[in-house]
Amino acid sequence: MDPLVLGLLVALATILVLFSGVSVAIGLLIVSAGFLIVFDGARSLELMPEIFFGKLDSFALLSIPMFIIMGASIASTRAGADLYEALERWLTRVPGGLVISNLGACALFAAMSGSSPATCAAIGKMGIPEMRKRGYPDGVAAGSIAAGGTLGILIPPSVTMIVYGIATETSIGRLFLAGVVPGFMLMMLFMAWSLYSTARSGERDKLTARRYSWGERFEILPRVVPFLVIILGVLYAMYGGIATPSETAAVGALLCLLIAMVIYQLWSPRSLWVVLRDSTRESVMILFIIAAAGVFSYMLSSLFITQSIAAWIGELEVNRWVLMAAVNVFLLIAGFFLPPVAVILMAAPILLPIIQTAGFDPIWFAVILTINMEIGLISPPVGLNLYVINGIAPDISLKTILKGSLPFVACMVVAILLLCFFPGLATWLPDLVMGPGV
Amino acid sequence: EELRLSHQWSTSDVRHEVAQMVADEVAAAGVDLEIKIFPSGSLFKAREQYTPLSRGQLDMTVLPLSYAGGQRPAYNLTLMPGLVKNHDHAARMNESPFMEQLEGIMAEDDVKVLVHGYLAGGFAGTEECITEPDNMQGKQTRAAGKAFEQMLAGAGASIASMASSEIYNAMQTGVLDAANTSSSSFVSYRIYEQVACYTPAGDYALWFMYQPLLMNKTTFDNLNEEQQAALMAASEKAQAYYLEEAKKEDAASAQIFKDAGVEIAQMNAEDFDKWRALAQETSYKAFVEETPDGQKLLDLALSVE
Amino acid sequence: MSGQVSAAAAPTGGNPFLRAVAAISTVAGWASAAMVVAAVGITCQMIWVRFVLNGSTVWQTEMVVYLVIAATLVGLPYVQRLRGHVNVDLVPLALPPRARKGMAVLTLSLSIAVVGVMLFYGFEFWHFAWDRGWKSDTVWGVRLWIPYMALPVGFGLFLLQLVADLVALLLNVDKPFGLQDDVTLTERADLDPVTEDAMDDPADRARAAQDFSDTKGPR
Ligand code: NA
Ligand code: NA
Repeated sequence: MDPLVLGLLVALATILVLFSGVSVAIGLLIVSAGFLIVFDGARSLELMPEIFFGKLDSFALLSIPMFIIMGASIASTRAGADLYEALERWLTRVPGGLVISNLGACALFAAMSGSSPATCAAIGKMGIPEMRKRGYPDGVAAGSIAAGGTLGILIPPSVTMIVYGIATETSIGRLFLAGVVPGFMLMMLFMAWSLYSTARSGERDKLTARRYSWGERFEILPRVVPFLVIILGVLYAMYGGIATPSETAAVGALLCLLIAMVIYQLWSPRSLWVVLRDSTRESVMILFIIAAAGVFSYMLSSLFITQSIAAWIGELEVNRWVLMAAVNVFLLIAGFFLPPVAVILMAAPILLPIIQTAGFDPIWFAVILTINMEIGLISPPVGLNLYVINGIAPDISLKTILKGSLPFVACMVVAILLLCFFPGLATWLPDLVMGPGV
Repeated sequence: EELRLSHQWSTSDVRHEVAQMVADEVAAAGVDLEIKIFPSGSLFKAREQYTPLSRGQLDMTVLPLSYAGGQRPAYNLTLMPGLVKNHDHAARMNESPFMEQLEGIMAEDDVKVLVHGYLAGGFAGTEECITEPDNMQGKQTRAAGKAFEQMLAGAGASIASMASSEIYNAMQTGVLDAANTSSSSFVSYRIYEQVACYTPAGDYALWFMYQPLLMNKTTFDNLNEEQQAALMAASEKAQAYYLEEAKKEDAASAQIFKDAGVEIAQMNAEDFDKWRALAQETSYKAFVEETPDGQKLLDLALSVE
Repeated sequence: MSGQVSAAAAPTGGNPFLRAVAAISTVAGWASAAMVVAAVGITCQMIWVRFVLNGSTVWQTEMVVYLVIAATLVGLPYVQRLRGHVNVDLVPLALPPRARKGMAVLTLSLSIAVVGVMLFYGFEFWHFAWDRGWKSDTVWGVRLWIPYMALPVGFGLFLLQLVADLVALLLNVDKPFGLQDDVTLTERADLDPVTEDAMDDPADRARAAQDFSDTKGPR
């Protein structure tokens, strides 16, 4: 059978199986096993456990459970609320200071946790009620946090960037750095929209700001400084040459656990177990998808589907920007339904050769891909951040949350366009710190 | 009929060219045999090719045989310091009773050699030249292969295990002071941007790695006679090409490092003997201890003139 | 992560088989968490040896990689029990209750089949490595049957939990896909997927809430 037709069959079967409610990783194994039996002979099933094991056999992957522990231990404390409060106390004179401190806190928390829903929950729990109390429209309050939470996978450390780095064999340190400038650019776009729409809502005079004394401002610092020091330490260790991302993540995880125990007095075995259980659940889930996607991409490669699609697109001779637009539409649609890790693992082996042939930088593309995945996190039907917000603020209807989030989706599209016109936004920092790409 | 060949190298690498040459020649012979190449680890990861090859789930591969040294300790002799002196010596190695013994062991795993070939490599240091064991004292280093790790540790270096793709970063950030890898890796990972001195493989070189084109034996035996003949003819041609290109690579890498302003050092006979004496005490000793008939195999390898 | 991570662990309904499997999976979860913590500790030790003592690190990299692989495989049943493996349940949500149950039986059976394949060939691969005395090709040279053992053990326990889930579904102890009968696509937002923890019983949750409220930080 023609590999392209076979590829179409695989795509249909995958959609069918994944939408049936089976877990994503098992679904990938089912599709792989099915196609291997039919088109490669039953003997190829023998290889599945070996490939599964082999995909996990990588030191770089270690950083995933480590960063997750780091995020989970921070998320189990009041650190998120403290961070937001500190920014609020210091930014009180800035117009619209509250929404700015919320988005700023999202960005900083994202820089610590690597997880979007965790960022959403940590900042939103305090931020959303406070914004509504002070007269911000529900849509802005909910939308800004949902969107701010998505920064977790763009601003380093980022689990999705690690997965991309492993899937495409690009430097994880470089990928992390590439997310920094676009992440803060996105944060500023979010701020701009929030301020504009708050002003436009016509209730500007209702927005009340609390005044804080200098005593109150300094009082909160000891509670946020340790985590900020860890972030800086992690960044220094990673880019100053002390250690690889995996090693840095291990030290970060140990320090964050210790700080949670010492500063936030999280030393009862039960609350420590909550941290470990949550991180075990998330890392096992992600690593299972990674290993299963490894089996899936073996199947695609073995049936020559990956290679044929790349060759086919290469021969299309479309304009490279038309190609990029098509890739974006594909990623958006996939992101609507599937978790970012699964999209990256399934799409990267197919898309990367195409992207590189068309002359795009794989590091730059990682940022584009990640912003697409961020859109998926705040769009129906399975935008996880929307449900997190709904859980934090049950009296805001899902419809309001959704409507409030849509303009932020537009901000992300704007960010993608800006990155297309100015690729340096993504590549400048990694080139500066790590030298021009090898 | 279709055979699948997997390897980890990029399509511009000499090892891919060797595989491609065999594939092209066999296709041109018109014996109804097609070799489909999966480059850059697109089917199997580098170190996960030997097992499927030996179980008949993969037909062919181009592989450093020492990758399978954990399964067959004897293979560790194919990446042993000071065993091979230069490329012509390596070519004689391929025709020796030593290689016959190795091929016998491979046959036990249902594996057959189509194309023999060695690639060489050298040393690079971020601050000073590495020519003799004393230069390694107190350095953080990366070594290509277990036997080299044992020998360099014996010279007083600290070993940090990492892939050759990580050397650049590790040197840039100061994790590594020295590294040992193949000539082609030194060039393709642009290590010349990070080091002060390079010791390429020359008249005396320590680091030779046997990287043959292998095939599953049963699969080969099941081919018809014309197909087998076409494969063997293609392999013979590829082997001659492999040797020539391997020789060129060392000189080319030295030139590239020189052009980048890196000091080029040479190992002399005296340095070589010092390394070999050290290897006797470290890697050879460990090899003989862990390998059945290890001493006999080592003596066979050392007896190749 | 996008996709659905539902709230509660699989109920056992007092059924002895289901309770036994739940207990086994929970112990596996502890083992998994312990292995990740060990990996964190060993990695930190490795950095200490390399940068403070300027020594060689021979076994640490390999050890932590195998620990994380084992943690993943052995953690599978526990995460299954917590309903922690993400899925996309658009089709089940759109189905009426009876069809939904049929769908759940089908997907669980397929899952059991494919995990069974992984268990069978995983065991074979482990046995192969054990039989031939394979070691890793490093100075440490660990006997590979030890890390490979995670394959049969992990997939075996995972299979057990999946079978228990199927039994729970057939005995009506658990709802298909953990969804209440009356939940449909538009009402799904009433569920609270993340903020509630997957606790085994309400008492656990109360205690954890107590722990959390105790952690106020230095004021
Ligand atoms: Na992050
Ligand atoms: Na979505």
